[in-house]
Amino acid sequence: MELEILTFGQISDIIGKSTFKISYINNTQDLIENLTNEFPELKNTRYIVAVNKHIVHQNIQLNPGDVVALLPPFSGG
Amino acid sequence: MSEKKVKKVFVDGPISAQFIADSISKHSTKKEIGAHSIFLGQIRNDVIDNKEVAAIEYTSYEEMANEKFYEIREEAFSLYSLTCMHIYHSLGLVKTGEISLFVFTSSVHRDDAIKACEYIVNRIKKEAPVWGKEIFDNNEYIWKKSEV
Repeated sequence: MELEILTFGQISDIIGKSTFKISYINNTQDLIENLTNEFPELKNTRYIVAVNKHIVHQNIQLNPGDVVALLPPFSGG
Repeated sequence: MSEKKVKKVFVDGPISAQFIADSISKHSTKKEIGAHSIFLGQIRNDVIDNKEVAAIEYTSYEEMANEKFYEIREEAFSLYSLTCMHIYHSLGLVKTGEISLFVFTSSVHRDDAIKACEYIVNRIKKEAPVWGKEIFDNNEYIWKKSEV
């Protein structure tokens, strides 16, 4: 029962890795709280959350095995 | 005849002038085309805190980006009357003066090609999960902030 976490850009710098697994947490809000406790610098960083490649704007239920990505502001092109 | 299949967008490193020239010449057999519109994004030597940008290193959430590029492509085809469309975006290191984005639209008359090209570039800048790390000549870096 795990979640896969992906990070990009400055979020990877803060967390120190770009992909890792954590024990299952059943919604995005609790997951973010959990990560923010571990990495307080996330509080000062802008990012959005994508679950299984879809951007979510509010708290949603997670299922074991979901891929949750923390995406800082895009800067491609 | 429209090209709507999923196509590879990301290329490793810079997009060469030769690649762009070859892309253009491949369209000479499509004689219904009357207009091409091309956007080329080039790495600029921004100066930030007295340090000059030497290169940008691009990373992406590739799986998500490829879905987004596909969605942008489909929507551009539905909004504009295009004969074909190509999008190429660099990953990895691209130095100042080199090309990192190549958007190429073709249509019977110029209006559709020009408008679609701008539409696609704007959506890529806003919606594609791609990040640029601006690397200075002293090897320090900052994460690029997009102007959109």
